Amino acid sequence: MATTRVTAPAGTPFIEVERDFDAPRDLVFRAWTDPKLLVRWLGPKRLEMRVDYWELDEHGGKYRYIHSGETGEEHAFHGSFHRTTADPYTLLQTFEYEGAPGYVSLDELRLVEEGGRTIAKLRSVHQTVEARDAMVEGGMSEGMNDGFDKLDELLAGELAGAR
Amino acid sequence: MHNQVVIQNPTADQLSAVFAALADPTRRAILERLAGGDASVNQLRAPFAISQPAVSKHLKVLESAGLVSRHRRGTANLSRLEPEALREADDWLERYRAAWEERFERLDEVLAELANPPS
Repeated sequence: MATTRVTAPAGTPFIEVERDFDAPRDLVFRAWTDPKLLVRWLGPKRLEMRVDYWELDEHGGKYRYIHSGETGEEHAFHGSFHRTTADPYTLLQTFEYEGAPGYVSLDELRLVEEGGRTIAKLRSVHQTVEARDAMVEGGMSEGMNDGFDKLDELLAGELAGAR
Repeated sequence: MHNQVVIQNPTADQLSAVFAALADPTRRAILERLAGGDASVNQLRAPFAISQPAVSKHLKVLESAGLVSRHRRGTANLSRLEPEALREADDWLERYRAAWEERFERLDEVLAELANPPS
């Protein structure tokens, strides 16, 4: 069973995510860098993901994509890719949410193959600790759904009734 | 603030179970009732127009999500709210992790398809 591990050391601007995949790394890399495949998994479940532009070669490139909802809400993201032929399974990219212009993180994806399986290691470096924390909170709302709303209500009730 | 926060499964599975359990309005009502104190199946079913087996079924879902435990007091079988499962699910970093896990499960499907293209 694959596990997703998240590490966010206090007082640092880092956040790390690690996950194993039951596939060789060239497939994982393809699913991560072919926009036709990426749109099938990267977006939040309740939003539609579309790619505005995606230009990537062995040296780098640039991208922009948009998550949109049925009610017309749109969240756009863009950045630059950096790559080196010396390490083709590492992808560096800047990442900026257009709803918070000027807050840019540097995201590194490294794929390590082990016995036919691939460990994906993601590391985001934010400009400040505060920006890192805000990003995690943002990721929180992205994962938000009815369940979380109901959870908040229940917690509020439970805490209000706490002995 | 935590010194270092590392989160991994089995919370992921438990979290899914918690949200599945919370998705149902009757089960949320049962949890709200239990927040007021332990209760028997009969006490729990009183506000609802549903049978005792139906309430027991809901309780089973809540129990497997770790949200409710069962205790015997005399001859009575009482259900009790386990707030820890709710608190864990509310952790901000856990939400971030759950958002990634949700994506990665879809990525698993894409990868399985790439490895075995449909003919």
